[in-house]
Amino acid sequence: MVDESERAPSPEETLRLIERQRADTVRQLRGNPLLQYVPWGVAWAIGFTAYFLHYGLDGTPYAPITEAQALATLMGAQLVAGAVAAYGITKQSAQTRGDNSARGTMYGYTWFAGFLLMSVIAIRISPMLPPAEAGLVWAGASLLVVGILYMAGGAIWLDWRMFFVGAWVVAVDASGVLLGPGWHALLTAVLLGGGFIAAGLWFRRRP
Amino acid sequence: MTAEGSLPELDPVIHAQARLRVVSALNTLADGNEMAFPALKELLGMTAGNLSVHLTKLEDAGYVQITKTHKGRTPVTYVSLTKRGRLAFDDYTRAIRALLDTAGGN
Repeated sequence: MVDESERAPSPEETLRLIERQRADTVRQLRGNPLLQYVPWGVAWAIGFTAYFLHYGLDGTPYAPITEAQALATLMGAQLVAGAVAAYGITKQSAQTRGDNSARGTMYGYTWFAGFLLMSVIAIRISPMLPPAEAGLVWAGASLLVVGILYMAGGAIWLDWRMFFVGAWVVAVDASGVLLGPGWHALLTAVLLGGGFIAAGLWFRRRP
Repeated sequence: MTAEGSLPELDPVIHAQARLRVVSALNTLADGNEMAFPALKELLGMTAGNLSVHLTKLEDAGYVQITKTHKGRTPVTYVSLTKRGRLAFDDYTRAIRALLDTAGGN
């Protein structure tokens, strides 16, 4: 084999080689950030822009988009994003077997449980509210689940970037809910939609 | 451990660059995790044949464990570092650092 005839690398080169291999491995096991962040960014940018145009900042719609159309736009975009993300997760989790995959499985079910409970609460509460406030409960609670699970994911995989992405979601969601439905949709479309697209591209460039 | 003043011996099984990369990659996984053969191949950019040869040498030394199994009907091979392999890698990096210190100290 070729390796036996290679020139012996210096200790510095050897340590650099080990470190580079470690970093490459971490990056590959973490999965492709373009598949993890960008699809959600695009979905929220489109979906919440539709909601923003429907609500308007002062309660007057900016475009003739009904609530049902805005909901369909957001849900459709999120379905596409979910499919792309699921493809990425499947590819990523096929790489290893063991405690890592058990972690991933439990984490996956946690997402499911979070959205299930959030939906139960919103279904119970939203009929008692005016339509715009009911929409805010759905959107605000969904992003609560997203933000917290990103922060928890950061803790599970010791990934500070994922943790800060989650903290960013929580901060934007809190500000939006305080300001009202129109602002929440605007902030989510721009800061989370645009933010996730930017994060995906940035994490790809600087792994 | 080496006697004072002498240079540490480098483990020849790990010292070959290709195998050092294999072991470094597998050492990144926490204990209790295995990497699928195709993922390791893609990560290292080696051919399947070349990687197999190196894995066999590492397996013969007791440094890696190779598990062949099935996922549905597709055969899958998983590779992991053994306890002995982890120790050998730790010893190797320690020896390299010692060499570096010796070189830097002169």
